[in-house]
Amino acid sequence: MSMKRYDLIIVGAGPSGLSAAIEAARRGLKVVVFDENEKPGGQLFKQIHKFFGSKEHKAKVRGFVIGQQLLQEAAELGVEVVLNATVVGMYMDKEIVVKMGEEVHHFKGDSILIATGAAENMVTFDGWTLPGVIGAGAAQTMMNLHGIKPGSKILMLGSGNVGLVVSYQLLQAGCEVVALVDAAPRVGGYGVHAAKVARCGVPFYLSHTIMKAEGTECVTGVTIAQVDSHFKFIPGTEKHFDVDTICLAVGLSPMSQLLKMAGCEMEDNPRRGGQVPICDEYGETSIKGLFVAGDVSGIEEASSAMIEGRIAGIAAAYYLGYIDKEELDAKYQENQAALAGLRQGMFAPENRGKLVEKTEEGIDVSMNLLEKGFIAEDEIERFPGVTHTKGIHPVIECSQNIPCNPCQDACPKHCIKIGSHITALPAVDENVECVGCGMCVASCSGQAIFLVQEDYEPGYGTVTLPYEFLPLPQKGDKGFGLDRSGKKVCEAEVVQVRTSPAFDHTNLLTIKVPSDMVMKARFYKAE
Amino acid sequence: MTMENIYDRAITLGEYVPEPDDDRIICRCEEITKGEIRRAVHDGMYTITEIRRYLRTGMGLCQGQTCAKLVKSIVARELEVSPAVLEPATSRSPMRPIEMKIFAQEAKEVGDNV
Amino acid sequence: MSSRIEEHPILGVQEKGRKVTFTCDGKAVEGYEGEPIATALKAAGIMVHRYTKKEHKPRGIFCAIGRCTDCVMIVDGKPNVRTCVTPLKEGMVVNTQYGVSAEPFEKQ
Repeated sequence: MSMKRYDLIIVGAGPSGLSAAIEAARRGLKVVVFDENEKPGGQLFKQIHKFFGSKEHKAKVRGFVIGQQLLQEAAELGVEVVLNATVVGMYMDKEIVVKMGEEVHHFKGDSILIATGAAENMVTFDGWTLPGVIGAGAAQTMMNLHGIKPGSKILMLGSGNVGLVVSYQLLQAGCEVVALVDAAPRVGGYGVHAAKVARCGVPFYLSHTIMKAEGTECVTGVTIAQVDSHFKFIPGTEKHFDVDTICLAVGLSPMSQLLKMAGCEMEDNPRRGGQVPICDEYGETSIKGLFVAGDVSGIEEASSAMIEGRIAGIAAAYYLGYIDKEELDAKYQENQAALAGLRQGMFAPENRGKLVEKTEEGIDVSMNLLEKGFIAEDEIERFPGVTHTKGIHPVIECSQNIPCNPCQDACPKHCIKIGSHITALPAVDENVECVGCGMCVASCSGQAIFLVQEDYEPGYGTVTLPYEFLPLPQKGDKGFGLDRSGKKVCEAEVVQVRTSPAFDHTNLLTIKVPSDMVMKARFYKAE
Repeated sequence: MTMENIYDRAITLGEYVPEPDDDRIICRCEEITKGEIRRAVHDGMYTITEIRRYLRTGMGLCQGQTCAKLVKSIVARELEVSPAVLEPATSRSPMRPIEMKIFAQEAKEVGDNV
Repeated sequence: MSSRIEEHPILGVQEKGRKVTFTCDGKAVEGYEGEPIATALKAAGIMVHRYTKKEHKPRGIFCAIGRCTDCVMIVDGKPNVRTCVTPLKEGMVVNTQYGVSAEPFEKQ
């Protein structure tokens, strides 16, 4: 038996693996990426929402587009991406065994990067093995890769970003989400993700969890109940829903078994999501020349996985002598700054599980957002993006300090200010005249910006909202305005529909509503 | 109980008390229930490796991809330790389900198919 | 109502392979070449892929990425084939799996 050798072998063609491949290949390394899946990109091709962050983090670009960009860049640099290639083992001296077709192949890497990502956690309840109970990742795979609805009536368990984002994607795919349930007392993910689900009419049940899935051959219903502070069911609080699908989004664990097998020093770190290798700031493990990046080294977002990948790719180049210490240090500083930018704010790793009661600006956070998924009417006025100028103007319902700033650059008149601190809440400058172009509405990855005109015509105003559903309403259509909780509050007429390549599939729907409804109506429903 | 004395079998865990959800499947592949896992701990199986060999949890088709964390939390709760204290099962090849005839089929050409 | 997404607000109309026919438990089912067998079964409303060995309980798609092995079926006579990651081909013979073998329970 003989082996093929590479400068850098990467396991996993997701955001971190591809980013590392690009950086290493750019510096002259011979790189191969193995992935067990039929298609590359990891989870990126299932992520159809616009990413958060700033320009350097590819903010407001949709996940699958980022995936296409990374693949193209890797191909241009001569990176080999081998698909349907399952790494079944990794041994000492950086040897890996890969199943391809009906055979196993051995490869030797002078350096190796493990970027295998994460596996979904599960919870159990009576009936959890029934067909129709699926992971949130399964739902994403079915609808966004294979073009099929995971179900027609769905209950989502889990209010972290995955549960929220997948709930919204289910609605976009044409499914009905009957409830979003979480045993925790507060929404775990970004408030803006919750708000866009809530205003479509999905009720949130915090401090609730699933008692049982019903059905004999497959799921026909589900019963949830409230839990106390010890997560014990409170009798008499049971609620039943007719559903055909139950979707579980209860966290991720690093898929680090290959590293353990190779003999890396490991630790069980709950803050990183489970078993992770002990590694330095470059992602190098206790075995020299063996690197990690992305979720396998600690659960985070795809945006940070890409930066970790870049750092590891550069570090591998240094390890093999392709670059000097000076270049390593310079590139590390640059990427580390970008990474630090993403790890700030209310959802920063050190705040995980904590209740942050005030924003960085000293404003009380919306408790209703944390408990019900939407900002209450008596809470909305306190945020700096909410103003009442004459004529058309933006209303920015962004109430949590998250690292994101595309709205600031979107406005051609510069009426939105975040400043240099990326987690600051966007504020509206009332002295600058809004031209109503809607670029801010389309640029907000959290879909939290609306244009409001209180004096459109006597007794009526307009609300311009982001709309990512089909069928797209037409000018002249009549329907209803829904409030932030998804409740019908008034009749509404569509007066303008704008689509543009610059909006990237976020259509701008302008609805005419009674004047006293302009600060209430936040979604449109036909019929 | 701490990490050091997990291997100390002189420790008694007290009576095995049945729980209403003992019949719930935890290992989906091998159809091992929560009650069986709890009972195994009381039978003296304190490590994940012992539980695997005793019950076959995580030894089915999926190789523990789904239940590893669930089993760990049940064992930890029974032993009254943090799950972080328990060593995960040994990681070994093959890391993914693979037919033995393929596992034994070494490619003839160097880096064939690549 | 079909569970296929005809047009997606972000992804548009997704490309599919040519339409092919295969059988599931002897019945003709249509799907698109190259898509996972499980996708075609889902589109046809088939939820149960197998019955478990010990308790004879139904199982179907769970992880959809080839990891959990809950969706395995007998494909062209071979048991334990992960239908969520196995591409569909014209004329495939797919059967519900009982336990982990290619035989029904009464013959095991």
